[in-house]
Amino acid sequence: MILYDYVLSASCYKVRLMAALLDIPITLKAVNFHPEKQHKSPEMLRLNAAGTLPVLVDGDVILVQSADMLRHLVTPKNAGWLGDNPAQTEKWLDFASRLNASLGMARLHDVLMFDADIDQVRCDGVAQLRQLEEWLTEQRFDGMTFLTGAAPTIADIACFPNAALAEDGGVSLDPYPSIRLWMRAIRSLPGFIEMPGIHRLHELSPAPARPE
Amino acid sequence: MPARVDGQDLAIWRAASGQTHVWGDRCPHRGMRLSRGFVRGETLACIYHGWQYGNDGGCTQIPAHPNLVPPKTICATTYACAEYSGVIWVALQTTTQVCRSFPGQAAVRSLAIKASAEKVMEYFSGADTGVVCVGGTNDIALALQPIDATHCTAHALASVSADRKEVSRWLESQRRSIELDLA
Amino acid sequence: MTAGIADHWYPVAMCSGISSPRDTRLLGQEITIGREGEQFWVRDVHGKTLPAIARYGHLWTSPGQPNRDLFSIPEAEAPGRRLVDCGAVRVKCSPLRAVENFLDIAHFPFVHTDILGAEPYTEVSRYEVQIREEVDEVWATKVKFFQPQAARSAAGGITTEYMYRVAAPTSAVLYKTCPPRPGEWDIITLFVQPLTEELCDVWPWMALYDDTSPLAELVSFQQMIFMQDRSILESQIPRKLPLDPGMEAPTQADLTSVAYRRWLKRIGFTYGAQVVAA
Repeated sequence: MILYDYVLSASCYKVRLMAALLDIPITLKAVNFHPEKQHKSPEMLRLNAAGTLPVLVDGDVILVQSADMLRHLVTPKNAGWLGDNPAQTEKWLDFASRLNASLGMARLHDVLMFDADIDQVRCDGVAQLRQLEEWLTEQRFDGMTFLTGAAPTIADIACFPNAALAEDGGVSLDPYPSIRLWMRAIRSLPGFIEMPGIHRLHELSPAPARPE
Repeated sequence: MPARVDGQDLAIWRAASGQTHVWGDRCPHRGMRLSRGFVRGETLACIYHGWQYGNDGGCTQIPAHPNLVPPKTICATTYACAEYSGVIWVALQTTTQVCRSFPGQAAVRSLAIKASAEKVMEYFSGADTGVVCVGGTNDIALALQPIDATHCTAHALASVSADRKEVSRWLESQRRSIELDLA
Repeated sequence: MTAGIADHWYPVAMCSGISSPRDTRLLGQEITIGREGEQFWVRDVHGKTLPAIARYGHLWTSPGQPNRDLFSIPEAEAPGRRLVDCGAVRVKCSPLRAVENFLDIAHFPFVHTDILGAEPYTEVSRYEVQIREEVDEVWATKVKFFQPQAARSAAGGITTEYMYRVAAPTSAVLYKTCPPRPGEWDIITLFVQPLTEELCDVWPWMALYDDTSPLAELVSFQQMIFMQDRSILESQIPRKLPLDPGMEAPTQADLTSVAYRRWLKRIGFTYGAQVVAA
């Protein structure tokens, strides 16, 4: 499997993270999204006419939507990652794409100078974070750590990156204790990998012994 | 975790032993926010250079100089804090006040509100040193954390038998109406 | 603005990124940049033409009267090097905090974990720092640090050697061990465009001996490293760099930063700095 990847993209990270959690090897092909706009190059447009990243190629299958890639990575052996309630999972996958349009856009504006109505996208992002906070709080009352239950699903992986990177786009995560607990639970999953802007939880590893 | 009280940035953390600490949110080394750091045992470490601070706020370890005993002068700012009924309280100045306890009540959730603590108190029209009590079937109490002129956080407590989801949804509806009032 | 600030050279764009005229900001002032064929131009808000130099992949200008040429990096001109444009990343911090972070190695194990550093290899051994009066630059040499993956072309862990050079108040150059070519240095720079005192565009640029790595991978490695720093830079309090000792607590590992701050103070460069009256 080949992932056409941009290291700073939250959507590409969803796929890298899912593959890492499932321990599925993927070959990363770096695309010079910034500053070269290589995702709009003729070669990339032949793969994906929409000119977006990520693009996942698995034999004859070419996927251009990150939610489809997450589903594609889950095998019958790992079917738990699809969740017990497909409608719930779909609802949060849809929520993830709205987070991408709000917090994701705010981040592209603040980091890579994309044009955006920055006040509007931040305002949308805050409204969505409040929704997420309310839901995760109620989940906690029911003893559920993740979006659709006690175990993580592709919905969590889809929503996590843009939420965790909100501060890159000037939206503070300080007011959302339940979101922070949820992010911490995801960051503590075995096989979790970071991306720039999401640091390693150093507390998970004990203080290492001094070298000789 | 981060918190802001009266414009002051704070780092709140819990040691492995369970003890809670409230410190100024600033590493004395390079000004990095300590609330971004990590807890190992009884120390809080800064995420930037891994400097570790012990229970009293004093620096205990500088990873760049593993053999150095850090001078006593390198110290995080510490504040008096206490934990009652699942709410952490901090005093930014020396105080003789005793924290209020809420017998029979437990913390439900913390809700950030885009309004000053005064406005929220006014809305519920009951003032009592940062604590506003709201009656009702669930016997809800709100402990108000003033953040700045336009923000506060309401830490809600309710009787242990209350339906927490109901309380949480009621809080959401109150927030909407407080923020609409101000808009 | 005092001459101590206006008379320096600042990066304002990547040459390859300039096609039609474009507005940007420098030291709080609007400027317009553009090109006529191979000639680049910069104008201030009154239409006055400012000096312009295209060098090291970037366009440089100055709102004042620079009394010397833009610094030179002779090693970067050597044949066989790949010159890599990395594009800009915008950061809500003082331009001086961005440079200071670039001069620092002690954060590698915690911020660039398993890439530029890793616990327990956190010790910073003694290195040499000078303010070189003849060129008016800050230099740190004999800086050594253990790195699990020092560069795109480094497969395993090695002790890497560095030299750091502050060539202008908001521009620094890093010379670092080049794994495929022992005896040569890879060059990585950090050119910072101060938009305001608390907002900057950071333009990393590289001149490497690396014939094998795809360009996109070189760029992505550099952007990854810088974005790991960005979340630190946006969380430092205060946002401006304190020039007076007392606010922060440097150790021997911070000698480069101490010299940088002292040098900024000496040349009167206070843009993005917090200066408390003595």
